[in-house]
Amino acid sequence: MNEPRGTIRLAALTRSYGRTTAVDGVDLDVSAGELITLVGPSGSGKSTILRLIAGLDRPDGGRVLVDGADVAGVPPHRRAVAMVFQDYALFPHLTVLSNLTFGLRVRRVRRAEADRRARAAADRLGIGDLLDRYPDQMSGGQRQRVALARALLRDPSVYLLDEPLASLDAPLRFATRADLLALHRELRTTTIHVTHDQHEAMTLGDRVVVLADGRVRQVGPPQQVYDEPADTFVAGFLGSPPMNLVPGGGVLGGDPALTLGVRPEDLTRDDAGPITATVEAVEALGSEAILLTRCPDRTRLIVRTGPRPGVAPGDEVRLRADRLHQFDAATGRRR
Amino acid sequence: MSRPRSPLTGWAFLAPYAIAVAVLVAVPVLLNVGYAFTDHTGLTRDPQFVGLANVRRLLDDRFLLDSLEASLFHVALAVPVRFLAAVGLGLLLAAPRPGGRWFRTAVYLPTVIPDVALAVLFLWVLNPLYGPLNQFLGLFGHAGYNWLADPTTARIGVVLMLAFPIGEGFIVVLAARRLLDGRLYEAAALEGCGPFGQLRRLTLPLLAPVLVLLAVRDIILTLQVNFVPAYVLTDGRPANATLYLPVYIFDQVFEFSGFAYGSLVTILLMLITAVIITGLLIAVRRWRVLR
Repeated sequence: MNEPRGTIRLAALTRSYGRTTAVDGVDLDVSAGELITLVGPSGSGKSTILRLIAGLDRPDGGRVLVDGADVAGVPPHRRAVAMVFQDYALFPHLTVLSNLTFGLRVRRVRRAEADRRARAAADRLGIGDLLDRYPDQMSGGQRQRVALARALLRDPSVYLLDEPLASLDAPLRFATRADLLALHRELRTTTIHVTHDQHEAMTLGDRVVVLADGRVRQVGPPQQVYDEPADTFVAGFLGSPPMNLVPGGGVLGGDPALTLGVRPEDLTRDDAGPITATVEAVEALGSEAILLTRCPDRTRLIVRTGPRPGVAPGDEVRLRADRLHQFDAATGRRR
Repeated sequence: MSRPRSPLTGWAFLAPYAIAVAVLVAVPVLLNVGYAFTDHTGLTRDPQFVGLANVRRLLDDRFLLDSLEASLFHVALAVPVRFLAAVGLGLLLAAPRPGGRWFRTAVYLPTVIPDVALAVLFLWVLNPLYGPLNQFLGLFGHAGYNWLADPTTARIGVVLMLAFPIGEGFIVVLAARRLLDGRLYEAAALEGCGPFGQLRRLTLPLLAPVLVLLAVRDIILTLQVNFVPAYVLTDGRPANATLYLPVYIFDQVFEFSGFAYGSLVTILLMLITAVIITGLLIAVRRWRVLR
């Protein structure tokens, strides 16, 4: 007890739906003021964890502690958490102003005071001129800001953001990501952000939590998780293109007990390099290029190079692996 | 490559329905309006134009006043009862719960029972001596009613019978409720909105367009479907208490050979329906039920 406002602790948290275990014994500590990102593929349990913290779902086992207090049996609105849903869950029959004052009115805040607070939150997020609009009269970005303003009005200990950028197009997502970070720096309120987008995971969080099959695979600062993935799943999931993983070592140096991995940017074209490969495809991305290559033993290696690599499909290249990652071939764990 | 469709294709698909509407609805409506100002009995081929004679008779018709009163009483009681039953049960049984499908089937079942069979069943239900309704009231020490012999209880008896075949409205509410996004309810729960708050602030406003449509439909239906129960249960009695407009029209047209006069009362029924629905829509607009 007596933990600072905004700490969250998940202890052996478990939730199953029928035979499917969505969350499988998750332990996690989130410090006050931290921005943490839960990342994983679809069905990895990210959103379920948010729902369990919010109280929208009940765990089969384990505990959720908010500000040091076990919140089992505490209804969602008494948990000091605010949630932004992926599709924003704005009330379609209400104007933006009514959407923002909805919770305040439910909590019996007088209309004038509720309006004043709603207008202040809307101004803060730059949607002060949209208060008379209905959700279907706004763009995705504007709706997202309304959802954020609604969360802001709860003045919570913890923000729970369930893929809030997923419905936005790429340029808007980029801009909104920066806005989210700025807002977090300003508020310093604990935030748990769920995403399946590794760019978001890498750029937004103080720490990133990689989930798969309802289990935490690795927790750490984004760069550390990227540089030292705990297992082959994390190695393959974080990074685009993903890490090249070669069971038994193969062209990267044979050891049957190991799976060797190398990031595409750690493969360098070198005429004296030990690896020979044939270019199968070249993806020119403007600022860089991706070479899809195939070794004589059919191992496929992805290479990240600078722009205009000067090779074409069918060309032979020689490669050098600068930084190898070693994983146990049987367990997939990092060695 | 698909060839652009000719506009004729749409008309061709529409044609069977359009022809049926024209022949079975539009033409009879126009004929009905025409007959209302003749002396047509339904038995002769050469009805004569009589000007406003039927209208003068209508203004002087005391049986018609009884009939109007019976119909308005019926619609004032039956529409809210049927509406509340359909909406209440629809919302109550929309969420998946153990045995839910059996409850939903039970609610819909009376709708598939023919009106006549349901009316015969209600002859038994409302029987003052051995009917289950009076026996039920007896459990609370009440002597029960002679349901179909008293004007007021007879009207209530008909409403009771029509409170059961509500399956169509029930299904519409059920489907509409299930289409509402569950996230909205989670967002409301996070804001501290309890079940009744959610009903008042979310469910009813979001369902409002559907509910208004159902109310309009039920007003039209209720003014017409009381024909069978009135005929089987009470035959318009006692003291014309259940001489609803459809019964009165039937009597005039087929019992008294007053085809022309019956046609005029039909127009009156349509006008009453239109007035009630207009009143409802004005109230809906004034109360800002719809966005």
